[in-house]
Amino acid sequence: MGAYLLGRLAGLVPVLIGLSLIVFLIMALIPGDPALAILGPYATPDSLARVRAELGLDRSLPVQYAAWLGHVLAGDLGRSHSLNRPVLDEVGERFAATLVLAGAALVLAALIGLLVGIVAAVRQGGTADRLATLAVLVGISMPSFWLGLLLILLVSVRWRLLPVSGMYAITGGEDLSDLLAHLVLPAVTLAVVAAGVIARLTRSAMLEVLRQDFVRTARAKGVPERRIIVAHALKAALVTVIPVIGIQAGFVLGGAVYVETVFQWPGIGRMLVNAIATRDVLLVQGGVLVVATAYVLFNLAADLLQRLLDPRIGA
Amino acid sequence: MRALAARLLENRLAAGGLAVMAVVGAVALAAPLLPLADPNATAPAARLLPPFTPGAWLGTDALGRDLLARLVWGTRVSLAVGLAAALLAALVGSAIGLAAGFLGGRTETILMRVIDVLMAFPYLLLALAVVAALGPGLLNALYAVVVANIPFFARTVRGAAAALRGRDFVEAARLSGMGETRILLTEVLPNVMPVIVITASTTVGWMILETAGLSFLGLGSQPPQADLGAMLGEGRKVLITAPAVAAVPGLVVFLIVMSLNLIGDGLRDALDPRLRGGTPGRPGAATRVAPGLAPAAPAEGLAVRDLTVAFARPEGAADAVRGVSLAVAPGECLGLVGESGSGKSVTAHAVTRLVASPPGLIRGGTIAFRDDDLLALPPEGLRRLRGRRIAYVFQDPLTTLHPLMRVGDQVAEAIRVHRVLPARAARTRTRDLFAAVMLPEPETIGLAYPHELSGGQRQRVAIAMALANDPDLIVADEPTTALDVTVQAEILDLLDRLRRERHLAILFISHDVGVVRRICDRVAVMQGGRIVEEGETRALLAAPRHPVTRGLIAAMPVLGRRRSAEPRPVPEARP
Amino acid sequence: MIPLRSAFAGLLTAAWLTGAAAAPVPDDVLVVGQTAEPASLDPAVSTATNDARILVNLYEGLVRYRSGTLEVEPALAESWTVSEDGRRYTFRLREGVRFHDGTPFDAEAVRFHFGRLLDRDHPAARTGPFPLAFLFRVVERVEAPDPRTVRFVLREPHAPFLANLAYPTGLIVSPRAVMERGGAFARAPVGTGPFRFAGWQSSRKVTLERNPDYWGEAAKPRLVIFRPLTDPNTRATEMLAGGVDVMAEMPPDALALFRDRPDFAVREQVGPHLWFLILNTQAGPLRDPRVRQAVNYAIDRQALAAHVLQGTAVPAHGLIAPAFAWAYDPSQRGYPHDPQRARRLLREAGAEGATLRFLVAEGGSGMLDPVAMGTAIQADLAAVGLTARIATYEWNAYLARVNRGLGEDADMAEMAWMTNDPDMLPSLALRSDARPGQGGFNAGGYANPDLDRLLAEARRTADQARRADLYRQAEAIVVADAPIAFVAHWKQSAVTTAAVQGLTLEPSFFLRLSGVTKR
Repeated sequence: MGAYLLGRLAGLVPVLIGLSLIVFLIMALIPGDPALAILGPYATPDSLARVRAELGLDRSLPVQYAAWLGHVLAGDLGRSHSLNRPVLDEVGERFAATLVLAGAALVLAALIGLLVGIVAAVRQGGTADRLATLAVLVGISMPSFWLGLLLILLVSVRWRLLPVSGMYAITGGEDLSDLLAHLVLPAVTLAVVAAGVIARLTRSAMLEVLRQDFVRTARAKGVPERRIIVAHALKAALVTVIPVIGIQAGFVLGGAVYVETVFQWPGIGRMLVNAIATRDVLLVQGGVLVVATAYVLFNLAADLLQRLLDPRIGA
Repeated sequence: MRALAARLLENRLAAGGLAVMAVVGAVALAAPLLPLADPNATAPAARLLPPFTPGAWLGTDALGRDLLARLVWGTRVSLAVGLAAALLAALVGSAIGLAAGFLGGRTETILMRVIDVLMAFPYLLLALAVVAALGPGLLNALYAVVVANIPFFARTVRGAAAALRGRDFVEAARLSGMGETRILLTEVLPNVMPVIVITASTTVGWMILETAGLSFLGLGSQPPQADLGAMLGEGRKVLITAPAVAAVPGLVVFLIVMSLNLIGDGLRDALDPRLRGGTPGRPGAATRVAPGLAPAAPAEGLAVRDLTVAFARPEGAADAVRGVSLAVAPGECLGLVGESGSGKSVTAHAVTRLVASPPGLIRGGTIAFRDDDLLALPPEGLRRLRGRRIAYVFQDPLTTLHPLMRVGDQVAEAIRVHRVLPARAARTRTRDLFAAVMLPEPETIGLAYPHELSGGQRQRVAIAMALANDPDLIVADEPTTALDVTVQAEILDLLDRLRRERHLAILFISHDVGVVRRICDRVAVMQGGRIVEEGETRALLAAPRHPVTRGLIAAMPVLGRRRSAEPRPVPEARP
Repeated sequence: MIPLRSAFAGLLTAAWLTGAAAAPVPDDVLVVGQTAEPASLDPAVSTATNDARILVNLYEGLVRYRSGTLEVEPALAESWTVSEDGRRYTFRLREGVRFHDGTPFDAEAVRFHFGRLLDRDHPAARTGPFPLAFLFRVVERVEAPDPRTVRFVLREPHAPFLANLAYPTGLIVSPRAVMERGGAFARAPVGTGPFRFAGWQSSRKVTLERNPDYWGEAAKPRLVIFRPLTDPNTRATEMLAGGVDVMAEMPPDALALFRDRPDFAVREQVGPHLWFLILNTQAGPLRDPRVRQAVNYAIDRQALAAHVLQGTAVPAHGLIAPAFAWAYDPSQRGYPHDPQRARRLLREAGAEGATLRFLVAEGGSGMLDPVAMGTAIQADLAAVGLTARIATYEWNAYLARVNRGLGEDADMAEMAWMTNDPDMLPSLALRSDARPGQGGFNAGGYANPDLDRLLAEARRTADQARRADLYRQAEAIVVADAPIAFVAHWKQSAVTTAAVQGLTLEPSFFLRLSGVTKR
């Protein structure tokens, strides 16, 4: 397991380098100029040239990239020109916010998805299954940006049950209950699609498993039905479901942009969209690096969990 | 193709989705012919009219444009873009996946590395970056969505193509001198096609959602052109004052995506060979029993009378067991032989109502075990009986043992579901059982997973599990069929010894008369769901009357007979 | 499954319990919604109106705009004199003023500020860039004869100089803090204003607290919190849900909603703003002035202002915004909406049915609702037989595209300017030598020597009445030549809860909060 982990982590390095190279090239290709983004409508050729020199944009692309890579290896992600602060600080803060949101959404999606999937499988063909199938269908077909708008309109504006936007009350002490209150709507919005996908997969995996011989064996042993479902069938079904949860983690991270926009959540998705708009190359690079690493680590964690569950893999 | 369409229509949900999409598609196609207002004509003075205003049935947007007209034209655009994106992504992604999967080697490594990198790129960001690089516009948004979805197709198709790489027909084509490209196109592609079609059909909705998302962010269609996402984005600005402007296109996106998902699912079910012929329902805990059956009279051991078991099939119910009667006295071993499909396993499973149901149904007869009427027992009563008084040993222990549980835990569980016992005591008992079935290293072998044991060892575990609660009757359903001949003999000896030591009754199901002869006192021969002949083992086998019996005897493997005459009680070592 | 179910129920319950939704904001705390996260809190660096709303509460300049006007009054300078030749401005500084870091405000601090802006070899020159430094390019040197006196020597007379000093770029920063913090000063600002900086959490809030050592009347709110709410819709919903007290830029439609509700108050103020179309006078159909005039006649600016912008703007008839009361010419009627006349002009010019490539921004400072406006204008042009093909750009990409000149492949582009002096827009965007690539923004390539001459003369003229006359003449030329299409002047607006008292919107778009209270 240890060697496997090391191998996987080592495999991460070329992926991240390739990724940063792509980001760098894209940012170089995008029309628009960071110097202009800084100087705004009042830029003059003279001030543009000066700012470009300050940002090191007058050097050739390979030199710029090599310089960036060198600094990253030394643990320095550079300084964001649009925010006047170290990229690491900004990315750290924003990523933490996204992690809270995406983490909550993923946990919610996994809980709801598993629960709905199990119930639907166990009550296959019954009313509960029909309802679950309908809910899943609604979930995976729902444009999340639309759902977020509807939730805000209803829950926050009309009923005034939950805050409209942000991560903490603006004058609050930033405690946990405050965070939870702000988290509910965005997390639910973000979780809906993933929950649908997980539920649907759980259902089919459970049905598949429940038809297998070892379930008949458990019945022949006299194992109670409830235990068969949880201890026998679910355990086997999870082997197929967990990698999908890992993939959903990626979608949740990506989809967070919409939700962060609609709910003004101070996350990294919105930061990246702004950073692309302001041509803040270092900020984009740093952000993508962190998000991609997180994504890969999520998948790695899913793989490890799967290995832990299924001794047959990699034995 | 026609069969496919028929299957698709059989699926009511998919048919519903198809109907919705047909309507939506027809309206979108007919947009130029419909008596609609000019979707781009602004009338600022008549802005944000509410729905059901005469002349503007869905109202107007913030610039006074007719929402119904924009909705129809916008749907047309969104559908076209979504379909085009799905096709393009499928084309490019499948090409990469096919090349990687079929060629393998270095090509595969390099291509998949690139795909890995793209996969690690947060999807929306990739799309944003592509749009930023190309500039906003519907076509560029389309490219962005295509690029972002290529990895998905490439991965899926690669998997399917790689599975075909070493297949016979590919090798045959190669030997016949076909070029790689031709093999790829004429042999591999047709086989991968269903995968591509399924993937594409399940992603069209997703693509529409994604392009709508980009348009929603202002990166897609350019004014005045409407697509559903852009309409949503425009409507969002007046969400509070005129919710309908955003709600209606949102609803249409939702409906279209939902219908497409339904169709995609239907298509997948229709194309996926594993699910062909309808999905059987999830088997319940006990076989259903037709109402109104007569109660069973108490018996000395197991008494089955006039048992009839039917299976529901799409073409109607069919009886698999027709009026079977048999009895197993305490300490007796009854062999039930027959060709496959003769109904012997169904009979055996029906004893404690383990026949999968649906589709199984016990239509008639009685089953008594001592004082219990097994067909009348409530679920909990049946559960208590199973594994405690009647235990089972099944055919292939690799699939009948839980693959992810340690074998010791599986045996301990069999004990603990029937009596309250501390974990420690259950472990001790398990160890004793392992010793009794002559498993090596009984102390530690319980920590192994089924796949770590040999076939014979697994079956010994299964027998230990059956013995766990000292049952009165063991139903052994072809317990040696999956094993090689040497091990077969050992297992038979073990069963025989245990039967005599513990005064067990055994109902032994097999197609192998030789095996039955070694162990059973009496034999019943089944054919077509009926018992055709029954009697004391030696007598019956010496003078078979029924042709089936004669056939079975003739098919008896000679090797098995010789080997079974020379038992080798030495337990095999763990690998 | 029980644990799962109860965990979920617990989450919902927690949400419910804390569901006092937006906890009421205490009375001595003022929450102000912003359109975006501030780019920088260093006045020398910042260019955005959005930042200026914070800056004017943290810092002060030598002079400031008198409330409700665009005319200057003393601030950190008690008084000033201007030499006969108009090249020397001598300021008498207020005594006993200290920066928030405790260092004294004196003539050296003023010299430091302008040295930093203008002198490339200044020790703090690398804490920039300073995009608006050109406002003071006319300054030859700054002298500090004694701690309470500062003198600016200009290269030539420059009438807009005082107005420029009142602009955020003229706000004075603490030299010590700049030298100590370098580039980080932009996120940890130190000024002399009635509020001092208390914290900045990325994309969440910027907090200011009352400055207890303020030289003037102490600020009424104890805390002011600026919340970035980039999404217009969220601005409206947060306001409705009670999450902000003051919201400066409300989307027009939402504004109408708040007007009707007694628990909110809407304040409005016309500002020195012009929303216009740059027309390409160098290439394409718009080279012909008649076609440019036709475009001007075709646009229904009344409908745009009243409907698309929901009355948040007034139609523009000329170059000079009404907010410049002293220079505004009420008799300038510009181009009325007259499609017939537009068609006739097009016929005369032989440009019927021409296609115009139209650059449209997706957003941007002062751009109001650029996509909707562009679309409405597109429809107006279609009504006179002109086809406008829109291409939208994200704001930064848009600036990059437009500021390099419209060139051969674009015919018109949206633009909006907010200025502090009537000189600024024509001098930077219409003068013949203000070409892109030469430090100017004349993207349409317009050139008229008469206009150039009038603008130069106005700059040298100290007398305001005379200057006003020159600008009116300049405006008449621009209206006649139509190098741009005049569209609208923005009426800035702010929505507050009914409890907010003492808030005045300034024509300068600033938001001074020290006198604001909540009932």
